[in-house]
Amino acid sequence: MPTSSFAKRPHFNTLTLGWGTATALALCLSPIPLLAQDQPDESENSEANADSTAPIPLVPGEPIWDSFHGQLNAQKYSPLDQINVDNVGELEKAWELHTGDVADGSGDLPATVWSATPVFANDTLYIGTPFYRIIALDPASGEEKWSFDTQSSLEALTQPALKNRGVAYWEADDPVAGESCQKIIYMGTMDAQLFAVDADSGEPCQGFADNGVLNANQWNDTNDKWPLSLLQPPTVVEDHLILGWAGMDWAYEEAPPGTVFSINARTGELEWTFQALSDQMREQSGTANVWTHMSADEERGLVYLPVSSPSPNYWGGNRTEEVPLGTSTTALDIETGEVVWSRQWVHHDIWDYDINSAPTLMDITVDGEEIPALIQATKMGFLFVVNRETGEDVWPIEERPVPSGDGSVEGEVYAPTQPFPTKPAPLMDQAEKPKVWALADAVSFGECSALWEELRYEGMYTPPTTEGEGTLGFPISAGGVQWGGVAFDPESQTAVVNTSHIVQYIRLYDREAYESANRASGNESGFASQEGAPYGMRLEVALNRLGMPCWEPPFGELVALDMTTGDIKWRRPLGASQQYGFYMPESWGSPTIGGPAVTAGNVIFIGASMDAKVRAYSLETGEELWSDQTEAPSVSNPAVYEYDGRQYVAFISGGNTILKNQVGDQITVYALPE
Amino acid sequence: MSLSHSTRLGSIVLLIASLAGLAIAVYAYFTPLTGVTGTLGALVAIVACLALAVLALLLAAIKGRGASIALRVLILVGLTGTFFAGMLLHQWWICAAMVVGLIGLILDMVRPSHHTRPTHA
Repeated sequence: MPTSSFAKRPHFNTLTLGWGTATALALCLSPIPLLAQDQPDESENSEANADSTAPIPLVPGEPIWDSFHGQLNAQKYSPLDQINVDNVGELEKAWELHTGDVADGSGDLPATVWSATPVFANDTLYIGTPFYRIIALDPASGEEKWSFDTQSSLEALTQPALKNRGVAYWEADDPVAGESCQKIIYMGTMDAQLFAVDADSGEPCQGFADNGVLNANQWNDTNDKWPLSLLQPPTVVEDHLILGWAGMDWAYEEAPPGTVFSINARTGELEWTFQALSDQMREQSGTANVWTHMSADEERGLVYLPVSSPSPNYWGGNRTEEVPLGTSTTALDIETGEVVWSRQWVHHDIWDYDINSAPTLMDITVDGEEIPALIQATKMGFLFVVNRETGEDVWPIEERPVPSGDGSVEGEVYAPTQPFPTKPAPLMDQAEKPKVWALADAVSFGECSALWEELRYEGMYTPPTTEGEGTLGFPISAGGVQWGGVAFDPESQTAVVNTSHIVQYIRLYDREAYESANRASGNESGFASQEGAPYGMRLEVALNRLGMPCWEPPFGELVALDMTTGDIKWRRPLGASQQYGFYMPESWGSPTIGGPAVTAGNVIFIGASMDAKVRAYSLETGEELWSDQTEAPSVSNPAVYEYDGRQYVAFISGGNTILKNQVGDQITVYALPE
Repeated sequence: MSLSHSTRLGSIVLLIASLAGLAIAVYAYFTPLTGVTGTLGALVAIVACLALAVLALLLAAIKGRGASIALRVLILVGLTGTFFAGMLLHQWWICAAMVVGLIGLILDMVRPSHHTRPTHA
């Protein structure tokens, strides 16, 4: 049984302050947000009524951080400026909290991966944990108000780790005085249960689904290979909870097909579903799900879905027909779930290029014209910018010829062209095979050069092969931009995004060869079966035997873009890579997972780096202004909020094994000295 | 200062520097939020400082010229490596301790030989 403990005292602390064998070890919602604006006067109201599709105000007036990406438009922008470029260096720790919900995988429990963004709403800071507890905290002190334990089984049912990306918040437009659950916190679990608890007390909302618990797995009726894990909190749009799910990548040819559910926020009743795959494709393929957050334009009545690739991830012989909604950004009517427009970013995806972050909605002025736009970051390192009303290009997106297969993979078909944005420029140069890093090559006595010769690369979208060591990808699934997405400062119309430069390589094995390779490897080095398909696969990061990347630094960057021109304003290495405790030079940067937040104080806050530091940068110049050490890499977006007249910035440091074997259970909140 | 004391000054300085480095490395390894808490790198620094402390004691005790030279070379390699490790670990006080240790080593190198005995007219 789920339990709730009201006003239980936590294990928490209040604080008032705040290269490897030598070089060779190296590196080895309220739904207000979209509308966030000054309270309109009556004349403004009239105008709003006359034009129901009024654009998002360029500069929101209300500081809101009540969802995974801060606001429903996913701008991760706060109009607060108490903390600014001039004083951010004075930031000190206001308080920190260790939830205790952490495991490194060495014991009975799987390792934890905690990628939550704290949600500030109802004068409370809400967090979800990888042990599937909800904790409500005083925003100024970190003192626990209540906690709710879902008592979910702590088993890695679909993912290799216990994962959580936090909670969602909803409040009634017309709250009934004296009634509970007029404000609700939602959190999902690995075993497909969505919990709804009263935001004030932490008590389950009896009127929601089955006494406060919705079993999403009741809809898992096709290729039921795994539970529909609810690791990402639902996207709250008005009274709708838009719910995607996560599963097991790479494991099966036929898998649960990607369905998105709209749930009534009050009752838990199913309103509509969206299916990215045709009925036939749902049977013979699967996934094309939405496993990350979504964004929405309430005024236009649209919710934007970042749709992942169909299964299996690295072979498409079972899905030779077109799958137009796979690996796409798809806009749905929020009331009906009908597709309003969709843009496919990878045709016939055989690289696991899931669209993995919510598109960021923005109003931009291009050549003097104000355009309601969105920017979609991708694993490929491409940033696609389209009109969010119509899906049409803002800057031309060209279909360009791409490499075909080498004939080694039976049953496969290849898309002759893929979409390439002309602006903004790709975040990394994938046109040429990345150069071998001379240092890594030298200390490994040519291992990197030898590997490079065995890897096929004819440019971006070179298909997987069974030959040699496989196909090089720059990047494949780990690179580009992850779920932190793009932040946007509406005043200067500057977009900010962190990116990883990671070279991976993928090889397909026919079933017989795979089985033998699998046994030899112990299935511990990036092999995955793609069961049912004629090919298993192996995906590796291109490292030498000392753990050093075989490609040249930087390994990760922070990039600012002028969205009026699509040009890069500045870019700089982000953070430092760290292996065995040894820091690499910051000029090399770090692979990044997590994302930025920007403020009206012209400050960018971000963790995301291997060195587990959280940092502040100048939005204008990219200069590093402040940093502090945390327990583990902060692999989510920070939250920025104001409480009792004081501005705070909160980071969750939970770590992610994709980045580094370092876990944490720490939330750290910073403010200026009182 | 007695002759005995002055001949051992270098090794005493080296010993103190090694123990200081050890203390810093232990602190960095065990204390939360040092950035290297519980890491292999910090553990390597602990072992290296411990080894330098032992080598400092041996340096004070050893009398053979050849052995002394070999020990000094070993210590120099240890100091350099630990300095480099401290730098990569961002443990700057370990680097400082290794610089002090190097001063101790230099003092030891310019000390009167253990074989030298004062003669009386």
